[in-house]
Amino acid sequence: MEIDKDLILKLEKLARLQLSETERTQLTGDLNNILKMVSKLEELDTDNIKPLIYVSDEINRLRADEVKNQVSKVEALKNAPDKDENYFKVPNMMKK
Amino acid sequence: MHDKYEIVIGLEIHVQLKTKSKAFCGDDTSFGSEPNTQVSVISLGHPGTLPVPNKQHIESAVKLGLALGCTINKENRFDRKNYFYADLPKGYQITQDEQPICLGGGIVIKVENKEKYIKLTRIHMEEDAGKSIHDVSPKYSMIDLNRAGVPLLEIVSDPDLRSADEAYAYIGEIRRMVRWLDISDGNMEEGSLRCDCNISVRLKGTTKLGTRCEIKNVNSLRNAKRAIEYEANRQITILEAGGEIEQQTRSYDADKDNTDTILRDKEDAHDYRYFPEPDMPPVVLTETYIETLQKNLPKLPAAFFELLTLEHQLSEYDAKILTDDLETANFYLTLSKQTQNKKAAANLIINRIKSYLNENSLTLKDFNLGFDKMAAFIKMIDTGQVSSAIAYQRIFPVLVENPSKAPVQIAEELGLIQNADVDFLSQIVDEVLASYPDKVTIYKKGKKGLIGFFMGEVMKKSKGKAEPKSTNKLLREKLDA
Repeated sequence: MEIDKDLILKLEKLARLQLSETERTQLTGDLNNILKMVSKLEELDTDNIKPLIYVSDEINRLRADEVKNQVSKVEALKNAPDKDENYFKVPNMMKK
Repeated sequence: MHDKYEIVIGLEIHVQLKTKSKAFCGDDTSFGSEPNTQVSVISLGHPGTLPVPNKQHIESAVKLGLALGCTINKENRFDRKNYFYADLPKGYQITQDEQPICLGGGIVIKVENKEKYIKLTRIHMEEDAGKSIHDVSPKYSMIDLNRAGVPLLEIVSDPDLRSADEAYAYIGEIRRMVRWLDISDGNMEEGSLRCDCNISVRLKGTTKLGTRCEIKNVNSLRNAKRAIEYEANRQITILEAGGEIEQQTRSYDADKDNTDTILRDKEDAHDYRYFPEPDMPPVVLTETYIETLQKNLPKLPAAFFELLTLEHQLSEYDAKILTDDLETANFYLTLSKQTQNKKAAANLIINRIKSYLNENSLTLKDFNLGFDKMAAFIKMIDTGQVSSAIAYQRIFPVLVENPSKAPVQIAEELGLIQNADVDFLSQIVDEVLASYPDKVTIYKKGKKGLIGFFMGEVMKKSKGKAEPKSTNKLLREKLDA
């Protein structure tokens, strides 16, 4: 796999970022280096090895269906960059 | 030209569950509260917080899967579906991608008296997003996160449906099932059952699927039908004009009744980059757990319908009404155990109790008349003590107001017990015949149908108390003498 300009543009879109041309060039190099490092793993034969998803053996950490640990509206809205007394405010998403 | 084409439909139904708390945290799920009052650090997506699955979410999924004949997946894990939207605070939705909790299964639908089995692809557990309100301000969208994290089941059908009517029937059956199992209220208008429709068309006789479009924002059974009809026609018109269908996500507009709003083209199709949710260990179900749920499932609608039509000999029409919901079905079953006359039990519920409840805005839960009283009410009609019309119109309303009284006692108090006494009847019959000598002559000349007229007159004169069988017999004796 090779990181090229098209992939950088796609990732920008997915991550909702807008990069400058300089940043794009720098990031293309960085990401290719990371991939090269990780691709070292491909030298290993992993044919009969199940992917490791969880590092612990724990299963079934579940909770009963009970209402608890809520926070108040004031607390919930406290750290929001923009809000009114009831809602989080974000730029209107329907505007094209 | 439309007859040449076959419509192919697959549905994704999202069912909001009736749990007390959310899927992965303890926030309240009650509907209609003030915005942003049912939230926690987990549903707000604060860093460093850990989601924990709700047992009830899993149980509801397994119950529905068992009721629909699915294979239950014992090794479950959750995955992250990544996308950015303001009402999704974490930046990903927790869902199940590769190992859904239920695989396969299906449900029987009935359209124009023909049964058809609609196969399911899968059912998986996931969480809902918050709500965005766009129309308060031109500059801002307002975000309410009360709904963020509410547990959902997504039921995905195979592309087995071939008409808007079949889709309508299918959604109706799924809705009845989730209500039957008491896992969701299934209310489409309030958004607790939502439906995305995947629609394509192809020439009849061909097997290759056409390019499909996905229709969103269908919020009632009727709209689902209309959206599918509109979208299929739109596609056929394009093909007939020599055009090609583009794979798109479109929105149904109920006011304009069209699917002309394009939400996404194929090029903008989401790249969700699914990966396993590392914050929650796997959920492993045991055979015992599944068996226990299976054992405790209520008798399902299809089995109920069979019992009512085959064993109780009820009409399909009556059986359908009685199996509309579990409460009615159980109510009927309890009553039917106390009377031999199953048809009368069905009639009493369908034609009298239901209308009484509707008129008074009540439900079966509020109906406190004892089953023994209802059975006695039926018996009173069967033994000819009271005519069914009198019983339904005059005695029933008094009985529900005085549930401790015996129906016969009420009939006696109101003077409505039918009288089969020959002397009593003879006197009235003689009076009636004497009042209509010309009609008697016509009867004797052969117009036997007039018996109905005489019966009516006797009933009027006796204020409904003349017992019909004896009256009829007596009338014939006197007229045919």
